[in-house]
Amino acid sequence: STTAVTADGKEQVTIFHNKDNFSVKHPLMNKWTLWFTKPPSGKGENNWADSLKEVVTFDSVEEFWGIYNNITKTSELAQKSDYHLFKAGIRPEWEDVQNKHGGKWAFQFKKTSPCPIDQIWLHVMLAAIGETLEPEGEGEVMGVVVNVRKGMFRVGLWTRTVGGAIRGTNGGKSRTADEGKAVLAEIGKRFKDVLGLPKEELVEFTGHTEAAHHGSTRAKARFTV
Amino acid sequence: LPLPNSTEAPMPSAALTSLRSARFIEDITSVNYPSGFMSPNPALNPNASNGKFKYDKEFLMQFANVFTEKPSVDWDSRIRDTVGEPDSARPSTAR
Repeated sequence: STTAVTADGKEQVTIFHNKDNFSVKHPLMNKWTLWFTKPPSGKGENNWADSLKEVVTFDSVEEFWGIYNNITKTSELAQKSDYHLFKAGIRPEWEDVQNKHGGKWAFQFKKTSPCPIDQIWLHVMLAAIGETLEPEGEGEVMGVVVNVRKGMFRVGLWTRTVGGAIRGTNGGKSRTADEGKAVLAEIGKRFKDVLGLPKEELVEFTGHTEAAHHGSTRAKARFTV
Repeated sequence: LPLPNSTEAPMPSAALTSLRSARFIEDITSVNYPSGFMSPNPALNPNASNGKFKYDKEFLMQFANVFTEKPSVDWDSRIRDTVGEPDSARPSTAR
């Protein structure tokens, strides 16, 4: 096996060179937090705040796999469970100030056909932590979610905005409504590719406030890809 | 809080010790991956030395069976307090 010596003379031994004694690890562009929603216990209270649990925050590829290899797979979770993988510092709640003006791309996999949900959710998480879900510098991706429900799994990608115009203030980034819509459409397209869906299946985008008023399955989609 | 089973804190595995002390790679093109392993898709990281890297799925999948250890010494209790064991996560009616 070969190693490389950096300018400061140190060897870079990766986990591939030596899985029990490595000196460098692969950074993620962002820190990410994995959250879990515990299904209601059926005792009459519906305390969402108590059911949402922060599991772990991580910032390297190696650590991600330690987590993934030692956690319950989506296919083994009880109904009404969710996993959420969000950039650190962003709560996976639409009412949170960072999310309330945003929305989500989502697709439902019906359990009537065989659904490799573990592989799908893994690929979604890898695309999130690998930072390939959005074009450079857009800052739209907030997190990804998988919901385990009766008869179906829903997979979602949460965005900071609903694709509107942004007026750049204090020299900040601005964009037109058309540009905003194009960014969201690009994210939706990449998400659809990661989900491995055929062309005829549609992934829908809804704003969080619409979904809150009408329920996730009845809210009218703003865009589809 | 539940009492610990032993009076000693659990020892981290060798892999976990490495994980904690390893430095972050700063220039992704400076890493010489062993044969059989590929680097991240170079097209994703035109600015390879800024410490901020994008990774393609195929690159990330190479690690799947390589870091298999629990990522912290308190992992079992962390999981018990959040996700719960697979059996306890299932409601008793779902059989």
